[in-house]
Amino acid sequence: MQRSRILGLVGIVWFLLTVGVLAQATRMGLLLAPTDALQGNVFRIIYYHVPHSMLSLLFPYVNLFASLFYLYWRQRDPLKALNADAWAISSAEVTVVYATICLWTGMLWGRVTWGIWWTWDKRLTSMLLLWLLYVSYLMLRKLSATGQTQTLAAVLSIFAGIDVPIVYMSIRWWRTQHPAPIFLSGDPDAKMDPSMLPAFLWNLAGWTMWGIFILVFRYVLERRRQARDEDAALLAIEASLEMAK
Amino acid sequence: MKLSWLFGSSMEAHHLLWTYLSVWLIQGGYCAWTAWQWLHTPKSAGTDDPLASANGEDS
Repeated sequence: MQRSRILGLVGIVWFLLTVGVLAQATRMGLLLAPTDALQGNVFRIIYYHVPHSMLSLLFPYVNLFASLFYLYWRQRDPLKALNADAWAISSAEVTVVYATICLWTGMLWGRVTWGIWWTWDKRLTSMLLLWLLYVSYLMLRKLSATGQTQTLAAVLSIFAGIDVPIVYMSIRWWRTQHPAPIFLSGDPDAKMDPSMLPAFLWNLAGWTMWGIFILVFRYVLERRRQARDEDAALLAIEASLEMAK
Repeated sequence: MKLSWLFGSSMEAHHLLWTYLSVWLIQGGYCAWTAWQWLHTPKSAGTDDPLASANGEDS
């Protein structure tokens, strides 16, 4: 069997498995997990909000490392550089999707619990900055007409990568309206109740599997586009050689 | 939680329902857009496998 067919089959199986895990995770988050004593049912937003927030701080590192590899290889090995660039643009798009959901679900939750949609708190502001950096990354990729677009985008991704630890540490460094971390925290009162943990872990697993699926799918699309552009460039060269004869 | 609570008229119910629905809409929409683009991008004439050229394995 051809390699591409095997990869396609693995992709379909992974997709179906992911949808199954997400269905069970959603059922647990909405129906089986206990109701929070303080916030009531609206606390169930946590099962979608926190996994997306965590993953929106992980995908930028795929983008950062892919961009660094691109910068390293662009003169040494252009084929490897193209491959790294495909990972970079795919992970930037997935980051925007996850960061958008993080901000949007946070606003929906904040309106109920704080009474406001938004506050210029350090966690929220640094997260918004991360989102803006990746939206500008994608706009640069889409609109720039120079031959240096990929290099400029790779440099921008380094700046975006610097913001990630600031977002992560913001609720540890400063007192914020955003709640304290529920994981890897020294405060025992801030930790999630063990009865809620299974629903949370199912959702974390499901959205991680979905993120990996969508990242690889977008990468395959980008590789197909690169191959198409390569064909078009070769055809143009052949046509110009024919005309020169 | 009883599922009927989710369709109540309180702000809590609306926002919880919106959260779960909008996440599926955004993620599903992005996946559908990627699938659409993938279906409408012609395969390269040179290689059957878009990943192969990166590894120097033209088939």
